[in-house]
Amino acid sequence: MSDSSIEARIALVGNPNAGKTTLFNTLTGQNQKVGNYAGATVSRKSGTFFTPHGYKFELIDLPGSYSLDPNSPDEKITRDVLIGDQEGEETPDLVLCVLDATHLERHLYLLLQVIDLGYPVVAALNKIDSAEAQGLRLDPTALSEDFGIPFVPISALTERGITQLKHALRHPFPAPPGRLWKGPAELEESIEKSTKLAETKCEKNPAAAGLMTVADQGPEAKEFIQKTRFQFIHRAVEAGLQRPDEESLALTDRIDTHALHPVKGWLIFTALMITVFWSIFKFAEVPMGWIEQGQEALQEWVGSLIGEGDFQSLLVDGIIAGVGGVIIFLPQIVLLFFFISLLEGSGYMARAAYLMDGVMNKVSLSGKSFLPLLSGYACAIPGIMATRTIPNAKERLATILILPWTSCTARLPVYTLIIPLIFVGALNQGLALFGIYALGTVTALVAAKVLKPRLGKTEAPQFLLELPPYQKPQWSHVLRQVGERAFAFIKKAGTVILGLSIILWFLETYPKSDSDDPVVRQSESFNGQIGEIMEPVVSPLGWDARMGTAMMASFAAREVFRSSLAISYATDEEDGEEMRDKLSASKRSDGSALYTPLVGISIIVFFVYALQCLPTTVVVRRETGSWKWAIGQLAGMTIFAYLAALLVYQVGKLLGYS
Amino acid sequence: MATFATELERDSALTLSQAAIGCEFQIRQVEGPACTQLRDIGFCEQMRVKKLTNGRNMLCSVCGTRLALSKDLADQIQVVPA
Repeated sequence: MSDSSIEARIALVGNPNAGKTTLFNTLTGQNQKVGNYAGATVSRKSGTFFTPHGYKFELIDLPGSYSLDPNSPDEKITRDVLIGDQEGEETPDLVLCVLDATHLERHLYLLLQVIDLGYPVVAALNKIDSAEAQGLRLDPTALSEDFGIPFVPISALTERGITQLKHALRHPFPAPPGRLWKGPAELEESIEKSTKLAETKCEKNPAAAGLMTVADQGPEAKEFIQKTRFQFIHRAVEAGLQRPDEESLALTDRIDTHALHPVKGWLIFTALMITVFWSIFKFAEVPMGWIEQGQEALQEWVGSLIGEGDFQSLLVDGIIAGVGGVIIFLPQIVLLFFFISLLEGSGYMARAAYLMDGVMNKVSLSGKSFLPLLSGYACAIPGIMATRTIPNAKERLATILILPWTSCTARLPVYTLIIPLIFVGALNQGLALFGIYALGTVTALVAAKVLKPRLGKTEAPQFLLELPPYQKPQWSHVLRQVGERAFAFIKKAGTVILGLSIILWFLETYPKSDSDDPVVRQSESFNGQIGEIMEPVVSPLGWDARMGTAMMASFAAREVFRSSLAISYATDEEDGEEMRDKLSASKRSDGSALYTPLVGISIIVFFVYALQCLPTTVVVRRETGSWKWAIGQLAGMTIFAYLAALLVYQVGKLLGYS
Repeated sequence: MATFATELERDSALTLSQAAIGCEFQIRQVEGPACTQLRDIGFCEQMRVKKLTNGRNMLCSVCGTRLALSKDLADQIQVVPA
């Protein structure tokens, strides 16, 4: 216990989508990510809260798990913490089990397993308001009597029953109820023996270790224990839960008849995705204009305040142009995250996974891989973490290896800079963006098809997924999540991008040339010299030296491609024009236009495929446990990106496009 | 008599993937390589299940929860009409 004022440690466990993270956020006042699909929590998180009696407790949010027999790496974390096998983690003093009151019967299995481990337990009957709305009548007193622990009806979302829940967490905690079922004498004897053996081995939780050992001994023992537990639950539920007489065709059923339909379902999915991408262009236009105007006004104001010279150039052409060039994409990133959290919160994501399972199966993956891939559109790192929910190890590795090809938001500034140079109109631009995302996704899936059999033999992936009921998005969570991502983006712009902008400005400005011609000045600077070295490498892609330098810089962070071009064009004597106009006006030495549609496509293709993100490589190393996969992925994707851009430009030129 | 009843029940047992849509069933037995995983998620003996759709991945409702499962898994669940 690091903090001496903490009285006890409470572990929060429950089935996936039971509302653990919402309850965690409500109790601790933190803002962990909440999603209406299984697997939103894939690692351990902790926070503190006070009870009405003034005790300070540490609350540990564990990944959702259907049982303590783990089927995937995230479920293993929960089991290991509870039986004391998790390194550096003490066993909790009490377990707070979150049960979804609308699906009580299924959720009681995990509760019974936790009670079997010998912990004091408090059960929170979450989503009680939804259960009441469905006509379910729950009897917490009858359940408390059967299970020997307090059952507190709550709604973590509306904070109903939270005070009663805190009251139930009295310190000192009551004695654990112990195992509630009995097996035949032979089984009981072997449980007792292995518990004693665990005691002699000084296990942290001998009762738990003893029972687990017996359950793991063979399928017969495991099956017997599973069935006995379900019989106990069946009896308890008969007394504690009354269902409505007729199962009404609920809203979820009505929506699902369309959303999961083999034809209509796909139309809805495609329409939703196109709407998202169209909105990113359409609704972001106005605020992006404001940011651009603000940036120009700031540049003018700073320019008039400080006399001409290197310092003015650093501020105006380096910092403001570099950081502003990235900040301008804030509205688009906010919109993308807004739509992603809306789809997550409403419960649609699990339907998308269901629809995609057929496609994923054709490339030897399952619908389970789809949710991590979808998270990859926001950022590859949480996507790679989310692969922990995939039970099959080979499928997990294949998903990690292809995941960076789902275009993350860091690429968005590059796409949205180049697309308007090729296409006109919000709808066309939206469709182009949709096409870019589709290109990355399709290539990722084809790569999975090629990779998976080479990773070794494995069983065919099986699909088993819970489809949560549709619910209104929790606006406060959606807004908080979007706010956090926006803040993270601004922070990155204010730190990493700012630093890189200063370096890039330095490389662009020094060594100084006596010439007045900006082209000569540029070519004599460090950047010009780097560009000269890069030019033979990038000219087969149709790029010039400046783009080559910007591409090199973007290996530090993709967004820097935009900053680098902004800085390098800011020093041109074409003031007053927008960055995009400067790009479209720029010419090659022979006088032909530089940013032709073909060059634009070549740049986009490179960015779709290149893995220019060091944090991703570090996370891949951690999740796969080997540098071999991480470095192989980085090298492979970079070479592939170069070859793909080369192919696009050269074939395009042969076909007569410019 | 008891034997006759058992035989009758065995004859009327079918796998979840063979079961008709829209009908309520009771799970008689879960048997196969994924039986532990299936029981964990709620497909356990005695539970009532309603089949909602057919296909390569089928939709079922168990205790009010909607679950999607592949045909391979549904073949491991034996049900009798409830």
